[in-house]
Amino acid sequence: MSITWPLFIQVTLRLLEGFETTCLIFALTLVLALPLGLVISFGSMSKFKPLAYITKVFVWIIRGVPLMLQIFVVFYVPRLIWDLPAFSRFNAVILAFVINYACYFSEIYRGGIESISKGQYEAGQVLGMTKTQIFFKVILMQVVKRIIPPMSNEIITLVKDTALARVIMVAEILKVAEEYAGYALIWPLFYTAVYYLAFVGILTLLFGFFERKLSYYKV
Amino acid sequence: MAFLEVKNIKKKFGSNEVLKDISFSLEKGEVLAIIGSSGSGKTTLLRCLNFLEKADDGVISVDGNLLFDGSDRSTTSDKNIRRKRLHFGLVFQSFNLFPQYTALKNIMLAPEMLLKERAKKEKLSAHQKREEHEKIVAHAKELLDSVGLSAKEKSYPCELSGGQCQRVAIARALALSPDVLCFDEPTSALDPELTGEVLRVIRNLKSSDRTMIVVTHEMEFARNVADKVIFMSDGVIEEAGTPEEVFDNPKSERTREFLNRPGF
Repeated sequence: MSITWPLFIQVTLRLLEGFETTCLIFALTLVLALPLGLVISFGSMSKFKPLAYITKVFVWIIRGVPLMLQIFVVFYVPRLIWDLPAFSRFNAVILAFVINYACYFSEIYRGGIESISKGQYEAGQVLGMTKTQIFFKVILMQVVKRIIPPMSNEIITLVKDTALARVIMVAEILKVAEEYAGYALIWPLFYTAVYYLAFVGILTLLFGFFERKLSYYKV
Repeated sequence: MAFLEVKNIKKKFGSNEVLKDISFSLEKGEVLAIIGSSGSGKTTLLRCLNFLEKADDGVISVDGNLLFDGSDRSTTSDKNIRRKRLHFGLVFQSFNLFPQYTALKNIMLAPEMLLKERAKKEKLSAHQKREEHEKIVAHAKELLDSVGLSAKEKSYPCELSGGQCQRVAIARALALSPDVLCFDEPTSALDPELTGEVLRVIRNLKSSDRTMIVVTHEMEFARNVADKVIFMSDGVIEEAGTPEEVFDNPKSERTREFLNRPGF
């Protein structure tokens, strides 16, 4: 089948609908996983050893199992085993993504926080600052600067991982393109790359902007 | 009773006795130099005074306030530790300036935090708060001027030389007007040419109401600036006295050995 303008426009708009879902999965995961990751990182750095061990085992499991499998587990296990009301497909995807990404983020946070020298804490302490003041006024900004490169990496991976939502029939962009493929229309599948590339391009510019914004000091 | 009283301080890390019964006292306005080889416990002593480490036993009091007494549980808990720390200031060997803030902000940060807390507790009005804040800014600028860096108030630590960083760190430590200002080898991380400017600043700080303890390897500086010198070795005070007594007439064999090392 040759590509005609009306078909091209129809596919573009249809893919855009799928892309909306892609963006929604991306944005919700990011907004929820960023703070949850910080909580998990505090857990894994806790001085209360049992909490630290439990958190580390949890992070090991989540990072050790394919995200696709985790989506299946969240979607099917509650109703199969406990007869609970099922999550909607979309909510199951969000829950699986948030937990998965929060664990990855938590390790990046932990690396960032532990890389700040003890001297920074001590300087705050001898100046009579509280632990909270030291964390928010002294440590956090330095951590943010240090973790921007690894976070950019992880966030760009998230853009493409959203494609996994199709395993439980959530109609993100790739799923929509696959439907066309079912009618022997293959090119929309490749066309999706344009959407991903544009999105990642914008993110790359944004991260570059943040890095430059914070380049006024060195840590 | 002397201004600063330190009695029978003991500190162990595991089975390693780092401080074995350290006692000394200091009058207001005096400068104490602590010398000794690496691993003799000098830094640990300063860290105990600043409550970065908790001594296992002993007594610390400043200006009649008992801050720490190993036999009195109520003084050894972490309660009020922030208030206790404010009696002392500490200048680190590696500066530990906050890299994301300008020189001026580095000095102002801690006073600002204290003002914030006070404003909450005493319910200061916005106007009062602004007035107090202006005082903090003015004081910080004065301090920066006193270490000769007024021109650098907007510079970030990464834009300053090591010597300038250490001078900012000194101004920062002075911002809360500690009773006793401690220096932990303030010039050990600096090139020889930058050492001079920092030592000059410390020398100029000497005044009738500024009590200072300087851990240093700069023997000339200790001899010229200090009122008292302590030589530490293996966690004990091997010798103490005026600079003349310690440098010119050391009584202990170990002190003599230390001072006669090649290179001095």
